[in-house]
Amino acid sequence: MSSLVASISFGRWIAIVLAVALVAAFPLFYENPYYMTVIVTGEIVLLLNISWNFILGMAGVWNFAQLAVYALGAYGSGWLMLHETWLPVPLAIVCGGLLAAGISLLLAFPTLRLFGIYTSLLTFSFAEVIQYAATNNPGGLTGGSFGFPAVGGLFPSYGQTSYLRAYYWVCAACCLGGCLAVAWLRRSHLGIALRSARDAPQYTAARGIDLRSARIAAFGLSGFLAGIAGGLYLAFEQSFTTDQMGLTPMSLDVTMLVIGGLGTVTGPIIGTAIVVAIQTWLISYPGWQLTVLGTILLVIVVFVPGGVVGLVVRIDSRIRLWVREDAEPEPSSSSGPP
Amino acid sequence: MTAALAVQGLRADYGRTIVIHDLELIVEPGQTAVVIGPNGHGKTTLLRAISGLVKPSAGRVTLDGREVSGLNAEAIARRGVVHILQGDGLFPEMTVEENLEMGAFLRMSWRARRDALARVYNQLPVVHEKRAQKARTLSGGERRLVGIGRGMMRPARVLLVDEPSLGLAPVAIAAVYDAIRALRADSDGAIILVEENFSHIEQVADVVHVLEAGAIVRSGSYQELSEDRTVRETYLGLLEESV
Amino acid sequence: MTDVVAIIVNGLVYGSIYGLVAIGMTLIYGTLRILDMSQGSMVMIGGYAGWWALSTHGFNPLVALLVAFVLTFVAGTLTELVSVQPLIGRAKSGDFEMVTFITTFAVGIVLANLALQHFGALQQNVPPIVGGVLHVYRGVSITYHELTMAVISVLLMAGLGLVLARTRWGLAIRAVAQDLDASRSLGVPVTRLYPITMGFASALAGVGGVFLGALYFASPTAGDLPLLEALIVVVLGGLGSLSGTLYAAYLVGLMQAFCEVKIGTTWTFPILYAAIVVILVFRPYGLKGSPSEARL
Repeated sequence: MSSLVASISFGRWIAIVLAVALVAAFPLFYENPYYMTVIVTGEIVLLLNISWNFILGMAGVWNFAQLAVYALGAYGSGWLMLHETWLPVPLAIVCGGLLAAGISLLLAFPTLRLFGIYTSLLTFSFAEVIQYAATNNPGGLTGGSFGFPAVGGLFPSYGQTSYLRAYYWVCAACCLGGCLAVAWLRRSHLGIALRSARDAPQYTAARGIDLRSARIAAFGLSGFLAGIAGGLYLAFEQSFTTDQMGLTPMSLDVTMLVIGGLGTVTGPIIGTAIVVAIQTWLISYPGWQLTVLGTILLVIVVFVPGGVVGLVVRIDSRIRLWVREDAEPEPSSSSGPP
Repeated sequence: MTAALAVQGLRADYGRTIVIHDLELIVEPGQTAVVIGPNGHGKTTLLRAISGLVKPSAGRVTLDGREVSGLNAEAIARRGVVHILQGDGLFPEMTVEENLEMGAFLRMSWRARRDALARVYNQLPVVHEKRAQKARTLSGGERRLVGIGRGMMRPARVLLVDEPSLGLAPVAIAAVYDAIRALRADSDGAIILVEENFSHIEQVADVVHVLEAGAIVRSGSYQELSEDRTVRETYLGLLEESV
Repeated sequence: MTDVVAIIVNGLVYGSIYGLVAIGMTLIYGTLRILDMSQGSMVMIGGYAGWWALSTHGFNPLVALLVAFVLTFVAGTLTELVSVQPLIGRAKSGDFEMVTFITTFAVGIVLANLALQHFGALQQNVPPIVGGVLHVYRGVSITYHELTMAVISVLLMAGLGLVLARTRWGLAIRAVAQDLDASRSLGVPVTRLYPITMGFASALAGVGGVFLGALYFASPTAGDLPLLEALIVVVLGGLGSLSGTLYAAYLVGLMQAFCEVKIGTTWTFPILYAAIVVILVFRPYGLKGSPSEARL
């Protein structure tokens, strides 16, 4: 933890603390219920995206089962909330997260042997199986496309404003926790192992780094966060339908990740915010949402490959270079590889 | 007479790493110019800049007086530049014969392609022997021979050969240089041969250029350079005792 | 016995469908090493071409096929120029695959939405290329349309295989797939080859779309299922291997037919996907099973 703290400059820390304070204070001044709902839902999607970014962007694993894992977290915690009412709801959500983590872990094993793209097919097929199974609603477990039956959720007796505020803070806290966890992990042995495995798998293996455990851990951790997001969604919306899974939400989430910057810590935050904003803005033109988002995705990937965060980083380093060159004499040109 | 290949003020880089700066080189028609130099100083980049795989950031390359420096690799190849890549650049999943056929991709007539194939097989019996095998199943030396054979499949105004002896055992190197000699006899184009290994080039070099830190620092015949003290120390590892 | 015949006949039909939608994607993956996620939209465009030519105007089926071919050829070429060409040489190879997966996917979404805006969400009827039904065996029948589709599918795959193995351009495409720099230095016009190959592959999907339109209707989302099917077949068959795609197409087709006859349609797809998971666990490189990514 200390290395993470040390790695962020004092100025940055001030900025982060300010941002967190602003975010926390926001609902005290803003009360529009419609937009607050959008924001809370956005936070939940953000948590999901943070989890997905960890495995897809940072670990570089073509995992397309994240939404299914998210759904399983929802169904798991929902079932506990319905049938094991002695269990405090926060714990039920955590259990949902653990269930999701477990299933995600199981998925990790077959992917260890698979080469890149094949993992996408394996995880995607798995997601399809879960989606079909959920829709067919065996034994009434999932509620199928009508949705999971209503549960009390975290704050069953609150009035509308307090309800929204409470969920806002809980979800924001979870997102913050998720972000911090990812940022810390990124610098840890696990994170370094994952990133080097993504960029240079053979070299990493040759250095004796245990890729297997690293990948399994990544699946487990991202599954846990996704499961929590699922539980939160169910608690907040009082419902969970099967169209939370599938190609459309998946493409939206990918868009959010890419626009923000795949593999970066703050990327999901920015990407989710931008896409949710665009979606809300275009709410009166339903057909155009996907066209606009698709085009933006294309433009970003082609012209700004690192996403918004990548662009900011590049501009930032460009500026630093100018500043440095003004301060020091020009370095002599060096010869490099033939 | 017009140089077969003229390089003036060439500058090439990979992003912020400048590899070649202000390089000048003239190769006369029919001449075999050998470029030697330490590893990492730009020999391969020079060839890639000539053949268009790398775009020069400054300078000019002219072929028989016509400028080719801005063109892409395909166009430069069409102008008669044949580049035998470092390593071997063979297509691993294709048979030897298919690799050779690709060497003749730019030849339009089927008959010309067939004749070229026959000639290569004639000159390089090993290649003929292995013609039905997939390229990736061949040994390093055999692959290098196929690479040279592929370079022989179409007429070359300028032939670029990149480190043919790289990574090979002495026996294989001898076979490769036999093939290069055959290539030289067969073709009337100019040849630029890049090597790190000084000893073999005597048989083929009309002129030797030394490339250091991205520019040509010394040129001369093989005789002249092999008597030059710095060259001897750098490349032949010979330390001069006090005379 | 009726069951066996039904499974074989339906398996053949499904297999040809899978083959038709997968053939373009295999060609593109083999050449360009990208998974073209816009292929589904090309099938969709082909379906609309079929509807326009056959239903609205009553033209000859060949006109429908020609229109579909031209439209999707252009669409495919443009897709390449917009979503692939700018990225070539830019990213590390692993990134390149993932990024182009996303960019071609984005193009697919945009195309589907444009179709939605233009044609509306309503499904349109596409008449079959050839009318009539052939009775095979006691209650098991196959339409002439499906039969034609099966034949065309096999011919296309075989034809493509021949072109790749025997012709100068086929050789060039395989060369580009295996070593880009060497191909360029041998004079292969790579900057033209990429868009043309992708255009051609998209055109194959478009032609397939005309046939599929009669079975699945023309609609903006008509490309979703074929895309999935193509993905399954291409990856299962062993990325970029043409023969692998052929086997995988008919294998999956037979599996689907088997499930439908024996288990019923509700659980067919989940079981199919579960089977894929199992196959991938034991054969990590798809059916072809060979770790050296044999291309084309």
